[in-house]
This record gives sequence, structure tokens and C-alpha cells, in this order.
Amino acid sequence: MESTNRAGQTPILTVRDLKMHFPVKNNEGLLGGRQIVKAVDGVDLDLYAGETLGLVGESGCGKSTLGRSIIRLTRPTAGSVLFQGTEMATIGERQLRPFRRKLQMIFQDPYGSLNPRQTVGTIIKTPLEVHGLAKGKEKERVQDLLARVGLNPEHYNRYPSEFSGGQRQRIGIARALAVEPQVIIADEPVSALDVSIQAQVINLLNALRRDLGIAFIFIAHDLGVVRHFCDRVAVMYLGKIVEYGPKHEVYERPRHPYTQALLSAAPDLNVVRGVPPKEHIRLVGDVPSPIDPPSGCRFRTRCWKAQAICAEQEPVLESRDDSAQDHRIACHFPAQLEGLTAAV
Amino acid sequence: MSAAVNEAAHSAAHTPAGGPRPSRRPSHKGQDEAFLVVDDLSVQFPTEDGLVKAVQNVSYSLPLGRTLAIVGESGSGKSVSSMAIMGLHDPKRTIITGSISLGGEQIVGRSQDDMRKIRGQVASIIFQDPQSSLHPYFTVGWQLREAYREHHQVSKSVAHTRAIEMLDRVGIPHPKRRADQYPFEFSGGMRQRAMIAMALINDPQLIIADEPTTALDVTVQAQILDLLNDLQAEFGSAIIMITHDLAVVAEVADDVMVMYGGRAVEHGTAEQVLVRPNHPYTWGLLQSIPAVSSEQAELYPIKGNPPSLLSLPPGCSFAPRCPYVDRVPDGKCRTDLPELISRSAGDHGLSRCHLSNPDAIFAAEVEPRIA
Repeated sequence: MESTNRAGQTPILTVRDLKMHFPVKNNEGLLGGRQIVKAVDGVDLDLYAGETLGLVGESGCGKSTLGRSIIRLTRPTAGSVLFQGTEMATIGERQLRPFRRKLQMIFQDPYGSLNPRQTVGTIIKTPLEVHGLAKGKEKERVQDLLARVGLNPEHYNRYPSEFSGGQRQRIGIARALAVEPQVIIADEPVSALDVSIQAQVINLLNALRRDLGIAFIFIAHDLGVVRHFCDRVAVMYLGKIVEYGPKHEVYERPRHPYTQALLSAAPDLNVVRGVPPKEHIRLVGDVPSPIDPPSGCRFRTRCWKAQAICAEQEPVLESRDDSAQDHRIACHFPAQLEGLTAAV
Repeated sequence: MSAAVNEAAHSAAHTPAGGPRPSRRPSHKGQDEAFLVVDDLSVQFPTEDGLVKAVQNVSYSLPLGRTLAIVGESGSGKSVSSMAIMGLHDPKRTIITGSISLGGEQIVGRSQDDMRKIRGQVASIIFQDPQSSLHPYFTVGWQLREAYREHHQVSKSVAHTRAIEMLDRVGIPHPKRRADQYPFEFSGGMRQRAMIAMALINDPQLIIADEPTTALDVTVQAQILDLLNDLQAEFGSAIIMITHDLAVVAEVADDVMVMYGGRAVEHGTAEQVLVRPNHPYTWGLLQSIPAVSSEQAELYPIKGNPPSLLSLPPGCSFAPRCPYVDRVPDGKCRTDLPELISRSAGDHGLSRCHLSNPDAIFAAEVEPRIA
């Protein structure tokens, strides 16, 4: 499979046909049966050094599960995750340990993700000790990290409860940075924060990426934030990627009906500045259950373009004759290029 | 309270200067008459740590058929001020001063029994979290039916029919079957629709929507905002939309009030506040938000954190975070509370800021940074 980008780089992280299925009990039958939730169901992704890839989609589309199975917080059901060419989807916990240094995670909830009974210093020092880094100089390293994320280095003895939400998120970022990762998976890192604090954290992440060359997988539902922060975007629906490409392609020339609906639903500050309101595409109904997803194209039950073939054949995520080479769409009837307006 | 603040409060009680921006909705009778008049409202909570000044000297008015967005971050007082309209604060633990007139009736100081008659009937509130505002033990139909019977002396079957009608009106498919289901059987968007149905079942003239779409996905959010818009066009209700999301404000609001540290800092039509704002806090918000329809190279966050409502700084509450304090002579920002008044000629709203030339600063320094 092709795995270099335009600049001829090889990806730092290659995800192929990744599946994460969870068994659940149902109430049918005397003892109850078992069903499978196909949260992530065959995803291919490439992440290049220093770039940011946005994962967008609505709740339940599998974007967080995808992030967690790439980083092996859950062991994927099937598929492959190559970090610089080495398989990490199937190896055991012990062999995984060196990879834990290379890939780190930032969580959404700045309250639930820090141990309230540990001081900030302990929280950030723990990963150093686990990996045997900065031996004998842990305190200095912790203080450097605190300064790096914009906190007062003197505060290493304080507890998380003494910090605001935005400051706690900075602590979580400092903890992730402690082991000098090459990839950070950030799961909704700013959505719990107030607007003015959100921008502070986004700018911090931008600086880390610029100064330290860290690559990000940025999981978010805020399409404006993703447009600002990311180089490329993958749109997920019901466990699959439906559209994938450079952000200007996806935002300005969305080709998949779901991407178009998603972008048209996002409220836009610019309408009040005289930008003509975009055409409103309103999806009907709810996202189907990932236990028993629709055959063929999973979006067909809510798609206004759906035809017989959409139920029979699953569309392949691929580039089109009239699309950029790295802009891929999984749809039997993607929007024609000339019909698209930049207003969307 | 100083006379100056009072004066500012009164001037704000009218539609802000600059001529009303045409409403996006068809006009209704009584468009110009204020249905809700909030005058010099303050809400304070005595606590062990001291007096929490959650809302101070807020004044605004709202005619039927119009939508006012109250914007602010956590702790800005945006929800607290609206809960006072619904009489939802515990009178034993809250000090409320000022006046709230709802369709000519005074709300402040009314008994809980009186308020129970007003709630639902005259004014309704839709909360952010439909999960916890519907009772898990009762069917959705039962909850709507009882909300109706609270204000109407009708039989259960008549009320049940009304409940099914309302579920249908808010776009819930198979309303008859759905009415017999429990909240957990509804999706998040469906639950929010059921909440809206319950809020509207007694035809209130004022709807307070407190972050009604924050917990929802964008496609569902768009459906709910459309629904509120349609219902307002149909019934001509006044809507207060409490939100932190300026993009939502741009889509739905006629008027906007920006709150900071318990006070209104900017107030005007949506266009005045979002396109020609005069307050540095509003500028800061606009520079912090990446828009979905345009590329923004850089975000310029507001430095620091919001103030504690227990110990607000003297003078302007925003002064400790404001990049423009040095443009005002004599350190006035740190000592004198600015009034909420019109600050510059032209089509601007009211602003609570000492800057003498906010217009020029916005055009030269802020506007180039947004969109």
C-alpha cells in the first residue's frame, strides 16, 4: 500500500484495517445472547512526523475508540498499527512499554484525568520514573515542564484541586510531554474549557508542535477548532472513515454527503458579518446502532442520494479523477466538483 | 449603588441605540412593547466564604417575537440572572434586588406558590442537560400530561392527547408510541425535543433556553435551533438564549448581551455586538474563536482567568486581563467602574469600558485579527 506523502516522507504511524469490536449482552433468550458493537470497523490512517490529523464526527462514531486503540489503551480486535515500521497492535504489554514513551495521550476531562490525591509534581514525575528518565534530576525536569506549559514552576507541590480547568489541562499536557513523545493523541482536549481558555490551550499545543515537532491526532467535534489546528482531517461515521484529506479540500470542497451535512450544520459566526448563510442540509433520524450497521454504505439510511447500489456494495475510501490525489471519499455518488460552492 | 450605575441601567432597559435590526422572524403584535423588563437586577449568595455577587445591576428588556442571547463564560452570571426570572433561587439563600416585570407582573419577592403558577404558564425554561431534567421513573407522556394539568383543569385523557400533539409538533416520530416510553429510551436529541415540548405545552410567552444544544452533536444542534426558530415564528414567543457559543448567537439572536463577572459589559443588536463591538472582552472572545467557514492563522486568547465572584476587583472587572488598561489615563480602569452606555458615534451597542476611542482601536488592531 502506498505509504509516502507528497514530500516523500514515510509515515511515523500507519494504521491499516483497524477494528475494535466490543461484545455486549442483550436481553434476548433465556440467558441473554451476545452481540458485537463494531465501534471501529476497518480504518486506514497515516500520520507523518510533525503533522496534525483531525478526527471529526458525532458522538458514537468511534473517533475516541479509534484513538484509544491506536495507542493501545484497548487492544484492537484486528488490524495493524505500525509505529515507525514496528507492529504494536498485537504485541504484549511488556514489549509495548518502549512505545508508551513515543505515544502519549491528553484527555478531555481535566478533572477526571488527574489523581486528586497526588501533587502536580508527583503526577508529572511518575512517567519519568516509569521510564527511568532524568534520573536524579526529576524535580528540575518537572519544573522545566511546568514552565513549558505556562504554569508557575514553584507550584509543583500543589494539588490539582488548586488549579482551574485550563490549568489542569496544562498539567495533563505536561505529563504527556514528560517522556518526550513523538505522537500525542488528544481526545477533545479543549471542549471542556471556556472559550477564552480554549484559545490559550490551542496556542500551547500549536507551540509544542512547532517547537518540538510532535505529531498530533486531534479528536474533536468542534469543526472550527479542527480547521484551525489540523493539517489533514478524517471524517468518521459509524466506525468508518467516509472522507479523508487535506483540510482545505475537506472544508472547502467536501464531497461526501455526510461531510457536507456536518459542515452545513455547524453554526457560523461569519453569518452576522454578511457571509451568505450556507445551504442548510438537515439530516433526519438518528445514527443507526453500531451493533447492526446498515449494509453497504453505512450512511445510506440518512442520505438523500442513496440508491440500490449503496445498500449492496460498500463504497471504497479512494481518491477520484477530479479530486486531489490525497483527498479520499467513500461514496458511490460523491458531489461533483463544479457543483460545489466555497460557501460551505 | 451609585446614581451613575442606576442611570446606565435605565438607559439599557430600552432597545439599544442604533435602531433595531430587522428580526429574522416575521413580526408579531406587540413587537415594540417589552414583554420582559429586567431592571437593575442583582443576585447575591451569602456563603461561608463571603458574599458571592453572582449578578450585579443587570437591566434589559425583551419584546415578544424577539431573541436575546446572553453570552458569557462559566461564572459570568448568565444562568443565575435567568433563573431569577423563573423564581428558581431559594429565597432563604439568595438576596435578590431590583425588579423583573413579566407581562406587567412583578416577579421579585413573589411567593413560591405564585411562582408555580407563572412557571410553565407564562415563562418556561429549557435546560442544557435533558438527561437530568426529565424524571427517569415516569413515561415522557406522563410528564408532559402532568405539566399541562398543572395549569389546566382537564381530564388525564385530554391532557394526554395534548401531550401527544406537542411531541408531534417538536418532530418526534410516532408520538403516540413514544409518549408511553421512558426518557432512557430516547436519544439525546429526542430528549431535548421532549424537554422543549414540555416547556411549550402551556403556550408560554417567554422561553428561556439555557445552553439548550451544548450537550448535542452539531447536526442535532442545527435541528433544535431550527425547531426553536420555527416555534417562535409560529407562536411569537420571546426567547432568551443563554450560551457561550458566539457562532450559535450569530445564527439565532436579534439582541446580544455579553456578561462578565456578573455584569453586562456589552449590549446591543447581534450585528452591533458581533460586528462592531466596543468592549475589549468581546474583542477577546472574537479573537479566540476559530470560525468554521474561514481560515484563521492565529488565535489571540484572553490572558489569565475569569475573576472570583467573591472578590471582584475594584473598578472594571475585566481590567486585570485587559490589554488596553494603559490607554486609559490615571489607571481609572483599576479604580472606577465604567457605566454601561453608548461609547461612540455610529451604530454601536452599549459598552461598559473607559476607552475613549473603541471604534478606532477595533478597526486598527482587532478587526484585522478576526476572519
